[in-house]
Amino acid sequence: MRDALRNMFVMIELELRRLRHDRSELYFRAAQPILWIVVFGPVMGSVRGIPTGGIPYTDFITPGVLIQSTTFLCVFYGLMMVWERDSGILKKLLVTPASRYATVIGRSMASGVRAIFQGLIIVPVALLMGVRFVPNPVCFAAAFLVIFFASGGFAAISILVASFMKTRERFMGIGQAIIMPLFFASNALYPVEMMPEALRVFSAVNPLSYVVDATRGLMITGNLSNLLLDVVAIAVFDTVMFIVASVSFRKIIE
Amino acid sequence: METAVSTRGLVKVYDGEVRALDGIDLDVEEGIAFALLGPNGAGKTTLMRILTTQLRPTSGDAYVFGLDVARDGGKIRRLISYVPQEMSVWTDISGYENLLVYAKIFGIPSHERKKIIDDALANMGLDKVANNMVRTYSGGMVRRLETACALLIKPKIMFLDEPTIGLDPSAKKVVWEKLTSFKKEYGVTIFFNTHYMDEADMYSDEIAIIDMGRIVKVGTAEELKHSLGGEVVLFSLEEGKVRDETIQKLRKSKTVSDVIFNNSELSVLVENAELALPHLIDVLRSESVNPAKISITKPTLDDVFLKYAGTRLETGGRIGEVRHVRRMIRRG
Repeated sequence: MRDALRNMFVMIELELRRLRHDRSELYFRAAQPILWIVVFGPVMGSVRGIPTGGIPYTDFITPGVLIQSTTFLCVFYGLMMVWERDSGILKKLLVTPASRYATVIGRSMASGVRAIFQGLIIVPVALLMGVRFVPNPVCFAAAFLVIFFASGGFAAISILVASFMKTRERFMGIGQAIIMPLFFASNALYPVEMMPEALRVFSAVNPLSYVVDATRGLMITGNLSNLLLDVVAIAVFDTVMFIVASVSFRKIIE
Repeated sequence: METAVSTRGLVKVYDGEVRALDGIDLDVEEGIAFALLGPNGAGKTTLMRILTTQLRPTSGDAYVFGLDVARDGGKIRRLISYVPQEMSVWTDISGYENLLVYAKIFGIPSHERKKIIDDALANMGLDKVANNMVRTYSGGMVRRLETACALLIKPKIMFLDEPTIGLDPSAKKVVWEKLTSFKKEYGVTIFFNTHYMDEADMYSDEIAIIDMGRIVKVGTAEELKHSLGGEVVLFSLEEGKVRDETIQKLRKSKTVSDVIFNNSELSVLVENAELALPHLIDVLRSESVNPAKISITKPTLDDVFLKYAGTRLETGGRIGEVRHVRRMIRRG
């Protein structure tokens, strides 16, 4: 456990150092969510067909779009870690005293660092578009904490999926294939109540829904009645993903 | 002397069909440089990955300083350093930062960290470029950085997988000078894989020749070469092939210790070439074999390899090496 924590902090530091040298990936990746907020939000909002509970539509989707982009980042981060198998980095990390669990958890959680920076790039754009955030720095920090912790789970999903893939080329489509279903079958763009029954069931087990719900409550609506449930769901999601990914990690090594 | 590495009947089968290791028995003494010499695909990397606890053997036992690789992985990893064949540093941070990250992963206490890293960098002659991004480094500098990283924890044994692959001769020499002086200073055992004969010949205290997942011969470079007898007479044949009876006939001569035919070259191992040559030529004439060229050399490790594994080392290595170097470049 101490190893896992130390490994996590070192990997987080590694990401910070990388970001200090080069942040261009984050700027490029910010283009998509910004389009959602600048174009899709206002256009769909003018239709007024989606019951958002009285808040402007762009405000409603901002947390959803934010989470979608950070999730994307994390899934690719997990895939990237698997690519390191081909270089010697993963091999060398496996020969350090830390356990395999520590390596998997540490690297997965480090994706949260990138996710936070990604979020910090998107928020000012949302502010410019007139999105009204809850004016409470504690809530804001809590929202980013939620994003950070959820990130690890999403990175672990991609480690799990990647362990079944043998070639780099196959990975490329996987990122999309993981994210898009999670995104559209969640409450990111519309309330769950609007969905057909089957999707609603899926949404109930969709981790992205809980992350969006928590951040929407903390950043936009100020409605924190579900927060505890959301946090528990995210914790369970992380734990399960870490265990499954650690077990499947063996496949990646061989 | 303690035994640094010991294996008994080690077998590794990939996916139930590829038999990468086929019963490896090996003992490596502490404090020596041990070369595992063989062509690509012989099982060198698989053996090293088992010894460094990355892979589990299919059957058999392996011990590093008496610790079982299957059960005491965590303890073994505290004693060893490992440099994989592929590049194992992050290119988008500086050399110093790479070592800092690894020092923290190894759990080196914070008050010693800076000194240890600076020493390792100075040792490898990288102190001037420590703060440059690794992507600006040459292949030799990357290898030295990786070696510096392996020195951070003062290991009891270093596992180096093809430590100088893709390096030019002068960079090769620098890496080995550093490794040799480190071995002398700290008594660290060096276990390295290579398919370069000259590297095994020059820098190892003991060599094991591996081919098709089996150890075919173990000894010092001198012993191995001596085991072939005094000299090698090499006939390059115009015909490109030779009848088995001719080989048998040559073998029967009392001055000849062995005859190997490979790739239109006939190697005859003898004690003294000057004395044996007239007789050899008589035999070849009587069998109407016409040598295009005759050369006399001292046995090299390549001849040793030819004798015990039945092929030349170099031919097996070339294509694989080109492919490998390309891969390294693409990634770099």
